[in-house]
Amino acid sequence: MGLRIEPADRPHAIRLLIIWVILSVIGVIAALQIPYPPGNQSIQGDDQAKTLQLLTALATPVFIGVVMMVIYSAIFFRRNTPELVDGPPMLGHTPVQVAWIGISAILVLFLAFVGITTLASDGVARTVGVPGRAIGGSTTGGAAQNQASELEVQVIAQQWYFTYRFPSYGGVETTHLEVPVDRPLDIHVTSLDIIHSWWAYELGVKADANPGVDNEFHVTPQKTGSFTVRCAELCGLWHGQMSDTEGKVVSQSDFDTWIAQQQKDYAVIASAVPSYAPSYFPAPLTKGS
Amino acid sequence: MVVPSAVTERHLALPTGLITAILLAIPGYFFGVWLGTLFGLFDDQNTGVILGYGFAVIGFLIGLGFLNYPLGRLMGWNMQPVPVYSDVDAVAAAARQGWTRYFSLSLDHKVIGLQYLVTILIMLLFGGIGAMLIRTSLLVPDASITPPGQYIMLIGLHAVMMIFITSAVILGPFGNYLVPLMIGARRMAFPRLEALSFWVVPPAAVILAAAIFWGGFPTGWTGYPPLSEQAGQGMDSYIVGFVLIAIALVTSGINMLATIITMRAPGMTWTRLPMFVWGIFTTAILGLLAAPVLATALIQLALDRTVQTSFFLASNGGSNYLWENLFWFFGHPEVYIFILPAFGIIMDIVPHFARKPLWGYRTGVVGLFGVTLLSWFVWQHHLFVSGIAPVLRPFYMLSTELISIPTGIIFLVTLGTLWRARVWYTVPMLFCMGFLFNFLIGGISGVYLSDVPTDVTLHGSYFSMAHFHYTIVGGEIFAMMAACYYWLPKMTGKMLSPTIGRVHFWVMFIAFNSTFFPLFIAGILDMPRRVSVYNPALQGLNQWVTYSAYALFGSMLLFAANLIYSWFFVTRPALANPWQVRGLEWQVPTPVPVNNFDRVPLIVAGPYDYGIPNARPVADFGGLVGATGGG
Amino acid sequence: MVRRVSIVGGSLVVLVVAIVALVGLFVLRQPGPLGQGATTKIHLETVAAVGSANEWPRPNDPHPDWVGYLPTTILKVPANSTIAVQIDQEDSATGLRNPFWGKVFGTDGGNIHMKYFDDKGNPQEGDVNSIDPTQAAHTFAIPDLGVFVPLLGVNSAAPSGSANVITFSFKTKGPGIYHWQCFVPCGAKTIFGNGGPMQTLGYMGGELIVS
Repeated sequence: MGLRIEPADRPHAIRLLIIWVILSVIGVIAALQIPYPPGNQSIQGDDQAKTLQLLTALATPVFIGVVMMVIYSAIFFRRNTPELVDGPPMLGHTPVQVAWIGISAILVLFLAFVGITTLASDGVARTVGVPGRAIGGSTTGGAAQNQASELEVQVIAQQWYFTYRFPSYGGVETTHLEVPVDRPLDIHVTSLDIIHSWWAYELGVKADANPGVDNEFHVTPQKTGSFTVRCAELCGLWHGQMSDTEGKVVSQSDFDTWIAQQQKDYAVIASAVPSYAPSYFPAPLTKGS
Repeated sequence: MVVPSAVTERHLALPTGLITAILLAIPGYFFGVWLGTLFGLFDDQNTGVILGYGFAVIGFLIGLGFLNYPLGRLMGWNMQPVPVYSDVDAVAAAARQGWTRYFSLSLDHKVIGLQYLVTILIMLLFGGIGAMLIRTSLLVPDASITPPGQYIMLIGLHAVMMIFITSAVILGPFGNYLVPLMIGARRMAFPRLEALSFWVVPPAAVILAAAIFWGGFPTGWTGYPPLSEQAGQGMDSYIVGFVLIAIALVTSGINMLATIITMRAPGMTWTRLPMFVWGIFTTAILGLLAAPVLATALIQLALDRTVQTSFFLASNGGSNYLWENLFWFFGHPEVYIFILPAFGIIMDIVPHFARKPLWGYRTGVVGLFGVTLLSWFVWQHHLFVSGIAPVLRPFYMLSTELISIPTGIIFLVTLGTLWRARVWYTVPMLFCMGFLFNFLIGGISGVYLSDVPTDVTLHGSYFSMAHFHYTIVGGEIFAMMAACYYWLPKMTGKMLSPTIGRVHFWVMFIAFNSTFFPLFIAGILDMPRRVSVYNPALQGLNQWVTYSAYALFGSMLLFAANLIYSWFFVTRPALANPWQVRGLEWQVPTPVPVNNFDRVPLIVAGPYDYGIPNARPVADFGGLVGATGGG
Repeated sequence: MVRRVSIVGGSLVVLVVAIVALVGLFVLRQPGPLGQGATTKIHLETVAAVGSANEWPRPNDPHPDWVGYLPTTILKVPANSTIAVQIDQEDSATGLRNPFWGKVFGTDGGNIHMKYFDDKGNPQEGDVNSIDPTQAAHTFAIPDLGVFVPLLGVNSAAPSGSANVITFSFKTKGPGIYHWQCFVPCGAKTIFGNGGPMQTLGYMGGELIVS
């Protein structure tokens, strides 16, 4: 069955096609101009911004097409006689249906392909099967990095604060996070009590902190600057206040100075802090104490 | 052997009704609390509170008369198995009852539909007030208007109340009222289950509201442990209330399926079924299969909280991932329980006002079933950043994005039906157009959330909150409004004022978009959900949203005013078929007779056969000789 | 018509009453601020059960068995000034979940002044910058100001009814509402000890209103 357009359909179809092409071109160009969050402070954040841009560019023609049809119907396909008149008895049009389903399938499969390749470029291959971890992490994508140069950072969530430990600096624990620029980070997120979610907005990182679980992901900051950390999983009374605007991406030398100062400041508590571990079970139940 | 000359009709001595029900519920609660303290090994009151709610509900149902029939049968009394409304005496008895039957256990699907509608509208008012308080609190970026404790309590109450409502807002009132009328049946397959599916909803709402006296619960509607195990006794309201809603979903699901499969009138073939019935059919499948999973998870949570099991405690060998999987295995089909009946409404109303056959009827049905099937394979997209099995993320990303194909079919069918039509833009039709616009935005934003790299930024932010409000409020509630304006004339016998209706639509449509569209932007600009304190840079945006939300609430008050105005003051009696459409439900008189159809109709044509030359009327009401369906 | 008006009016009145009751519950359920106005001195007391407090009794408290700070946890202080705090700590030790919080952060001089009892029950006094994390009873922490002060639990050898007196001072920033809390999981009978009083203003959580 070939594509056959009835004469009565033709003026509507041509008009709609012209409007759609014009509006879509304008819309796509506009969509490509917007700066997309979370920005390019890290390679992974940049990937996310680019994916957002791609999605918006693809969604714009779809959105414009359907809205245009709705508005066009509201204007041109309305009853203009006082009495009710039945419309033409069209029961369906197989080529149009096949085309609609086919185009949406192609769009969807293309998006899934792009998403999976972005993920696979780092995440899936790397985070599965790493020894010593029960459950894999949520890598956020980005190019594969040289594993040896990675800086390991542990995020410890509790009600209602995030602290950070650096196993390669004697397990020193800090209240804020500073990381060196251009160095891949291997971040492990765990929780001492309930579920939290560590969201470093500008770095393009979000990972749930689960008690007893080491949730691992990789991120590479590529620009110095500050970033905001928030909790993105409802965790009780002070959930909204569980944020920190003092995260910093600094140069390697600034980082060395900072971490040395932290080691000195917190030496007094070093002996009391438990040795570094992928996760902690500090106190099991205190119910009915 | 002496045979009793006549089996005399006997009833329980207990007078049953709403007052008895409440009188039994109160001692039921205290009995449960007492029993709980008897077993109170752990001195935390949770056992008592849960048992208290449980016995209160049992007392309530007994007081309503749910036990009369089974007990009577057990005692060998002569109980009428099901009401036979073709029986003249039964019709007269029902008519004699008058308005009081709306306050008692009724087995008439039309009474249950209206009971559902009024209950849900009242619940909607309370859920809406919760939303207004939340928005008021967010006028300032710190917690100076509402303290954080009250704020998370509001979040939880608003969320769960709205989930209760949206689970039932179409399925309950319109499903129960219209499905038998649309398929040519005189009643539902299981009228007692149908009544049960309604009568657990008011206790669920009351129990949920009772959480206020315990300080609420801090978990929102997701109830993630261990936070939900740490929470106070308000959490028990969440558990018991949700279990009751799960019972309502299962009972109405099995009832709808049995009714639609077995009780269609002769000639009502599967391809002549109205799209609304298809929407309810697919919803019923989801409700029947998904709600037991929720109930299981809730019972595990209740056991964790009372007898100290540790299903969800990693420190004692459990895992919070277990809850996350079970909850979302229910939770994702649940959102299609919200939207599938809305799809049904849209695809049913649009052809009637376009006065054209539904464009691609079979494709539309395939779309509904495609959504139903795929909805079982997507739940882990809620857990992309949770750390569960990263290798599975590509699969869930693909399955989630695939669901936009059957959803797109709904748009295809609707837009195809509008093509070259002579559309009569009535108030219900306006709401259908509003649905198309809103659900399009909701659907497209869903693709952003299904893509793992973008979900990392958008997950758990106001973006996802705006997304599901676009689908649920902009989709389901708009469809529900269309249904109200379209079917209430049949259900109540009174037309709603179209003037107020038009104003209501435009205020609601503009205020809705003005409320929720900026929230996409707030989410993209680092505002997490459920926070009472946010980035001060976003204060202007949030104030705009709050004022729009007030306007949205105002539009709902307009709807309430329209209902009160049209029902009580300026009543304009509705004709039997005010829209002059072919739907079978419009071919019966208004008000609908107690027995629906004097004779079971013979269906001879489809409901959407507009403009087809020599189309036959939809049904022959002369009836078949010896027709038995729907007895 | 009159019957209709009365039915509709009556139901509306019931609804309005219910709404007012609902909203009222939120308003009534919050603790008031410490009535000290623009003071720069704060005097607090921590007790194991607010129902058994001597100095600042709470006769009608809904949770008399909860641990809490007295007299209130809503503190009003001026902006950009030094706040002197005295806490009479009367509770015994529970221990920190994260021992890291055994260190003092963010106070003037990085120290706190402590009058306490040693293992033999003898009174001691001195400036410290950390305590044994297992001996912490509570902490006074204002995360947004970077202030974290661990409070030593009263030694079991101490005379009954005695208190550890902790004094320190910190500086406020600009106006705003800063939350403060305890990092010791002292909410007994709740999982991980962080429920109940830890989740409720007026007990182990509060607000520092800087104006």
